[in-house]
Amino acid sequence: MCLTTCHIVPESVLRRLAKDRSLSAEQRKNFEYTIKVDAEFRKLRKQTCKLTRVASLIAAPITAAAVPTKPAITVFDFNHRETLPGVRIPEPANSSDETARRVFAETTSLTEFYLKVFGRNSVDGAGMTLISSIHYGVNYNNAFWNGSQMAYGDGDGSIFVDFSKGNDVIGHELTHGVTQYSIQLNYTNEAGGLNESLSDCFGSMFRQWEAKQDVDQADWVIGKDIMGPTALQMGYSCLRDMANPAAKHCLAPQPTRYSQYKPGMDPHMSSGIPNLAFYTIAKVVGGNSWEKVGQIWYKSMTGFGPTPNMKMKTFANRTRAVAVQLYPSDTAIAGAVNAGWKKVGL
Amino acid sequence: MGTLKIERVGGLAGFGLPGSKVQSSGEQSISALSAADQASVEALFQNPPPQEEQQRDTFRYRITRSVKGKKQTVEVPESAVPIALKACVSDKLIPPD
Repeated sequence: MCLTTCHIVPESVLRRLAKDRSLSAEQRKNFEYTIKVDAEFRKLRKQTCKLTRVASLIAAPITAAAVPTKPAITVFDFNHRETLPGVRIPEPANSSDETARRVFAETTSLTEFYLKVFGRNSVDGAGMTLISSIHYGVNYNNAFWNGSQMAYGDGDGSIFVDFSKGNDVIGHELTHGVTQYSIQLNYTNEAGGLNESLSDCFGSMFRQWEAKQDVDQADWVIGKDIMGPTALQMGYSCLRDMANPAAKHCLAPQPTRYSQYKPGMDPHMSSGIPNLAFYTIAKVVGGNSWEKVGQIWYKSMTGFGPTPNMKMKTFANRTRAVAVQLYPSDTAIAGAVNAGWKKVGL
Repeated sequence: MGTLKIERVGGLAGFGLPGSKVQSSGEQSISALSAADQASVEALFQNPPPQEEQQRDTFRYRITRSVKGKKQTVEVPESAVPIALKACVSDKLIPPD
């Protein structure tokens, strides 16, 4: 049992281990310590969930009553360990560490994207300080949102490079926070696929917004900038392709129709279905993805309160209704939304 | 005491999913683990943590052992896995079809 990270072992098991005479006195003492630490972490997780629910109730009045301001952006360094959040970097914008400078700049840009395009102030809509930690673990091939902050691995330099090099990756992870503070989708079954898809959609829109690309200029792939030399040499140019989720150049090909969905499917697979719908709709509507279709998705995500176990069909129907509500005089948009979902069988 | 087969799945890149071209796996002799890590592994098999606690885009670990000729597999969040087990997996790419 490592005591430097939060291991989610049931308390009853920890208590049994703490009394297990086959373990040394020091090990038993460590388990006692773990029980205490674990209890605090459990309280923290419960409190985070409670805070999320409360924040979702008060965030709208706060943002309606006050001119939105930018949230504070903080960057921490794991120093290749896994203990959150790491050591704070005092001035990330001027750091000698390229990753720190990049994460600060891209996260700042991302907050501007959410504020200017969607009127949202940080992940909670109320200016919550954003925490990003870099250099997670050793050669760690991943990035994640842990419920409170973002974390980025450096990649192994072969399959992947530094995960913070992908602005869509940064957009993806931060959007998990937006989802947590709005629609609050679970991470399993259909809700899990929708949760992942929202992160891909907003991550891709952020990438397009930064590059000033319309729907025809956009690459619509996720993770292009984090692919390492070995992956590229083998013909893998992205993690996922929203335009063609089953494409062979994807590291993780996905289903393209709802009929291929199976209960329990990993969210990184099932997200291909709503991803393709979003892409299809955006291409038909044309222009900049974030201006119309993005607004429909944003309102569908943030405008109706928590729906943790939402089905894909329900979300599809919500976007149909929102399209009519937001663009009542432009029936082509509602038609495109309907056709896009029908294409994937929803 | 046998050997643990460990697979790392999921994450942002979708490691080890059906059709995925990136996989991560390894093996670990149980007897080579410290007593505390052996106890932690036993706890994972006896009472695996609920999936709801998984953080977004973190990995899950699929751990398999043989007990009296029968295979037992648990799938647990990254945060529940002892570092010694995490350290024994290596990532590899599957060539295109």
